[in-house]
Amino acid sequence: MLSRVANLIYWTARYLERAENTARIADVNAQLVLDLQSRQAADDPRSWGPLVYVSGGDDRFKELYGTSTTERAVIEFMLFDRRNPSSFLSCIAQARENARCIRDQLAGEVWEELNTFYLKLKDDDYVRYAQIGSAEYLASLRRRVQMFYSVADSMIPRTQLWWFFELGRFLERADNTTRILDVKYFMLMPDRTQVGSALDMVQWASVLRSCSAFEAFRQSRRGQLSLERVIDYLVRDTAFPRSILYSMLAAREALAQITQGRFSTEELPAAALLSDLERELQESVAKEIITAGLHEFLDDIQVRIGNVHAAIQDTFVHYATSGARVLG
Amino acid sequence: MPDLFAHYETSRFYDEMFAGPGRAHAHYQRLAERINRMEGMAELLERQRSADQAFLSRGVTFTVYSDNAGTEKIFPFDLIPRIIPAHEWEVLEAGLHQRMTALNLFLADIYSEQRILKEGVVPREMVESSKHFRREMVGFAIPKGLYVHINGTDLIRDEAGVYRVLEDNLRTPSGVSYVLENRQVMKRVFPNLLRDYRVRPVENYTNDLLSLLNHLAPAHVPEPTVVLLTPGVYNSAYFEHSFLARQMGIEIVEGSDLVVENDRVYMRRTDGLAPVHVIYRRIDDDFLDPTVFRPDSLLGVPGLVEAYRKGNVALCNPIGTGVADDKAMYYYVPRMIKFYLGQDPILPNVDTYLSSDEKDLKYILENLPKLVVKSVNEAGGYGMLVGPHSTEAQIEEFRAKIIDNPRNFIAQPTIGLSRCPAVCGDSIEGRHIDLRPYILNGETIKIMPGGLTRVALRKGSLVVNSSQGGGSKDTWVLAADQQTPAPFSAKLLV
Repeated sequence: MLSRVANLIYWTARYLERAENTARIADVNAQLVLDLQSRQAADDPRSWGPLVYVSGGDDRFKELYGTSTTERAVIEFMLFDRRNPSSFLSCIAQARENARCIRDQLAGEVWEELNTFYLKLKDDDYVRYAQIGSAEYLASLRRRVQMFYSVADSMIPRTQLWWFFELGRFLERADNTTRILDVKYFMLMPDRTQVGSALDMVQWASVLRSCSAFEAFRQSRRGQLSLERVIDYLVRDTAFPRSILYSMLAAREALAQITQGRFSTEELPAAALLSDLERELQESVAKEIITAGLHEFLDDIQVRIGNVHAAIQDTFVHYATSGARVLG
Repeated sequence: MPDLFAHYETSRFYDEMFAGPGRAHAHYQRLAERINRMEGMAELLERQRSADQAFLSRGVTFTVYSDNAGTEKIFPFDLIPRIIPAHEWEVLEAGLHQRMTALNLFLADIYSEQRILKEGVVPREMVESSKHFRREMVGFAIPKGLYVHINGTDLIRDEAGVYRVLEDNLRTPSGVSYVLENRQVMKRVFPNLLRDYRVRPVENYTNDLLSLLNHLAPAHVPEPTVVLLTPGVYNSAYFEHSFLARQMGIEIVEGSDLVVENDRVYMRRTDGLAPVHVIYRRIDDDFLDPTVFRPDSLLGVPGLVEAYRKGNVALCNPIGTGVADDKAMYYYVPRMIKFYLGQDPILPNVDTYLSSDEKDLKYILENLPKLVVKSVNEAGGYGMLVGPHSTEAQIEEFRAKIIDNPRNFIAQPTIGLSRCPAVCGDSIEGRHIDLRPYILNGETIKIMPGGLTRVALRKGSLVVNSSQGGGSKDTWVLAADQQTPAPFSAKLLV
């Protein structure tokens, strides 16, 4: 497959996953705000500020909206503002633009699903979000992305096209799951006295729900909701498809499919980095993570996902032409 | 039953559908009946809306160059088809075949012996001053003697209904994807009508194009790799590029995807460099190779021209074909046909005045308000003066330009293009149309039955280009004539 095309489908997946998770993060926040009665006032900057911070858009937000982290400002910034390259709308627009560049490779239905979603979405704004209600509106966005995945899943042949899509999707997902966990950290940081209280449980339940992980967590028979158990589940579970470890394993599988065993793990920097990270996640202990600092732990994972990304670019996209392998 | 055509006005223009008020030409009668069987305008408009929606969802759009945002628009589609009876098409086909043959011989000639220049049939300075004449290609024997592979010849019908050639497009004619997409939509809207009319299919085009491209491959390559080279997603014809690539199952590449090593062309793949043998390029000569043509071009591939000259890769169309669609050269095509084939042209040109000719120049300058003036190297309706629709100031501006550079302009009488009914607002009105058939020149010459009928949707407008408010219609070429012969058949050929 053409390097440029591989890169485009990889980014299409990343943008879609990012969009979906932006909707999830916004949703978990809306629910947390409702649960934290003392901060229920929508304009309390402590309620919506962290959201911007974890999404990595802090500077851009200040530039555009100043310091007022009202629900309206944050939602506009994170969902509808085209000036924010990571907003939900920007991501869908970019994913669609990428898909347009490679629509010769995509089945008509795959492209149409994304195209019609974008055309419907592009005129939405905060007013519509507020009218419909955050929970329902955000769920509708998530559903629409899910719908795209299911069309893609049933239409895209399992060639490199698919595996680069998977690779982008799971790397982005791992990164995003760290960010969802981080929201919780930020919300509670000033207030550690409540750890283990009934209110705390409610909040962790809402974090799990935002990852669609609540029922799965229960079924995994991990017992009562607690900080440790939830972190352990979302970081290290090998069966739950939104956990960080699961995403790493899926990304490595995609990489193996792409190279068809042409390289050993050692020869392929991206695979080596992934496998190091996997091993550490497998060996980590939730309690220790918390003691050492959850935020720092999550931050480290984000940096390392960035390194995997860079290694992928070097190997498949921006390699030097002279001395490159010439195919038959 | 309401007659949706009851208030339809025929006028001094040739009307494709009506011989006079209420009198449809024989080959349009069935269509008129079908439209009148609908639940009035409401149903027609509903079908029009559903067709528009289909285009939008499928992303059958083009990008407008004029603003930086790259606005996406659907190419407006009009539901009422343009119908060409079999006997008319036969003549058109023969005429286009003849023209393509002569143009290919002309290009072969001026890039080798230059017989036509030596014998003074075409003035040498006309060729040598053409922006699209490529000196670099003189003496280069193009494989298989095919100097032009794809031509989109624009045809119009004048007030008398005579088909005339308006121009040739020998570089990268676009629009064929709309022909194919329009037909897909019409199959849904009027399935029975298409069958009853025995409309000839257009779907073979992409097969024929792929065979042509494979035919061009260097002789030593048994299974050639063909790619389509696009300037990128922001090009106004990008939809078409990706559409054709998809239909043919070939890669669509940008300049940055290709590299030349040891005079061979490769594309950058995730697993290494893969050889490329045939490039269907949708970018102009100027942008192909920054080491030979425009050094500032980021769209092209350094070293491509050398690989081409070494015969390691084929280009479709070849380099330098544009000299034959220079609008001043157009003037000489009837003479080329005579010179190379010893025949009279089957399809006449539109009367044309060359401002480089002293006598013509005088006539042009005296008659500007009546004439259409075209810059010889521009396309897409740009660089054009439509005298009767222009202000005094615009006319004077062109006058100055013409005097300044006479080689750069031609003039033609303003032709009242034929009209065809179109859905306009909530009624049916006559709008001007033209026709662009697509001619492929490979092992044999193949012409898709029909082509792109463009329609000037703005009331009274004669400009059919998509960038200037034009739309399109499906073009139905009939497999056999309807029982009653068309009443105008006698005057088709004058």
